[in-house]
Amino acid sequence: MSKSTPLLPESDAREAALFFVVAALCFLAVLATLTARGTYTAARAWSAQVEGEMTVRVTGTDRRGAEEAAAVVRGLDGVRSADVLTKEELERLLEPSFGPGGIPAGIPMPLIIAVETQPDSVTTALSVTNALTARGFNAVAEAHSDYAAEARRALGTLRIAAIGIVVLLTATAIAVIAFATHAALLARKDIVDVLHLAGAEDSFVAQLFERRFWTLGLKAGAAGSVAALAATALIVFSAQSSSAQNQLLPQLSLDFWDLVILAVTPIAAGLAARLAAGGTVNHALKAVL
Amino acid sequence: MNRFNPDMTGEPAVELNSVSLRYDTADDVLSDVNMRLKPGSFTFLTGASGAGKSSLLKLIYLAHAPTRGEVRLFGMATGFLKRRQLSALRRRIGVVFQDFRLLEHLTAFENVALPLRVIGQKPEQYREEVVDLLRWVGLGERMHALPQSLSGGEQQRLSIARALISKPNLLVADEPTGNVDPEMGKRIFRLFVELNRRLGTTIIIATHDLALIREFDAPVLRLQNGLIVQDVEYQSV
Repeated sequence: MSKSTPLLPESDAREAALFFVVAALCFLAVLATLTARGTYTAARAWSAQVEGEMTVRVTGTDRRGAEEAAAVVRGLDGVRSADVLTKEELERLLEPSFGPGGIPAGIPMPLIIAVETQPDSVTTALSVTNALTARGFNAVAEAHSDYAAEARRALGTLRIAAIGIVVLLTATAIAVIAFATHAALLARKDIVDVLHLAGAEDSFVAQLFERRFWTLGLKAGAAGSVAALAATALIVFSAQSSSAQNQLLPQLSLDFWDLVILAVTPIAAGLAARLAAGGTVNHALKAVL
Repeated sequence: MNRFNPDMTGEPAVELNSVSLRYDTADDVLSDVNMRLKPGSFTFLTGASGAGKSSLLKLIYLAHAPTRGEVRLFGMATGFLKRRQLSALRRRIGVVFQDFRLLEHLTAFENVALPLRVIGQKPEQYREEVVDLLRWVGLGERMHALPQSLSGGEQQRLSIARALISKPNLLVADEPTGNVDPEMGKRIFRLFVELNRRLGTTIIIATHDLALIREFDAPVLRLQNGLIVQDVEYQSV
């Protein structure tokens, strides 16, 4: 005798539609998570990079005076380097505004000192300004971390938004599966009734649906994950092959944790489907004798 | 003493005390029904269409709970049982449905084996038993057939085999000859009689086939508008 036929018939069109919906939700959830992670990682790296950087603008003096000011800054505690930017460095810095042809003649060039401090340095923009002012320089220092604070706030918002999106998508998937299970239960009421009257316990009937929807969730989650992986790879490839200013794009690359997310998603989808199905069936069965 | 009612002592197999049943907001389908079936008895339930025969059987095979009153099976008040206990009790009841209720995607063999799968038995445990029963009901050659390829009479016998496979203490049959010709109807009734005599199974059969009732000479409960109006054996009205 061959293997017993499953007590629930093979999947029908409704389950195919549910498969698509769960796969799409998993795809969106994974993509949202990976994008948020990539953006967050990139912004955090940039933030860490600018954390120890400062720019000092010196006015009312010439290049020699600026060099003397830089020497003063180098003498402060925790300063790793302080160098006056050359004309070429300034032109490169201002290239986005003036183009590759350089700064037009006649435009006054500021004297800028680029400062790098140690990570745990006590030297702040204010202390640099005060030190230079005390030595008779007309100078103003600005810490790049002031701008990073804005980025950090944006990152916090982004992280909350990403978590919210993932939670919303997960809740939607569970609701859709619960709805689909209920529909499947109604569609197979004849089978459930026969099993029930044959003495099947609620857990026996629930397990039939749980197994079915666990498999469906697992497969749909895997399909969604694979699709998200393909989409991510495409974005990474596009970003890397572009000669544009790709440092402005999120650093989308697949690291260990991204792969963990991709691997865990099908299991999470399967478990969510199983729990939703089990809960729905048990609730429905409790309504009958 | 009727020949289908062995004189057995102990708790009734089925006992309904002042039972009424109402679906939603409609009038009572059954009103103040009192009845008892002795263990090992063979009883016909008759009445016109809509008299409440199927509803009464549904109360007995635990598909519904009564709106009022008490249903006792094998001495147990079903209204106080936990869900697990109700499931266990249902395993002692075989049901032959009017519309067969065979699972279309399962073979004849698998349909008969269903009650045993439900209690966790493996194919190697029930194979021989199922094959024997299928042969007994004359379906030994059709065990791999799907229900839709069977005739009405074959489907009826298949549903009877499914009801009997777990050797129930109580067999409830709702119009079991409603979809078969008279000759097949007699064969099916003889199966029930044999079961009643050989295993002492309590049997209640809802039918409006008066010729069969006369031929088999068993006590009759007659329902009219939800009331038992004739109880030959037990005088329970």
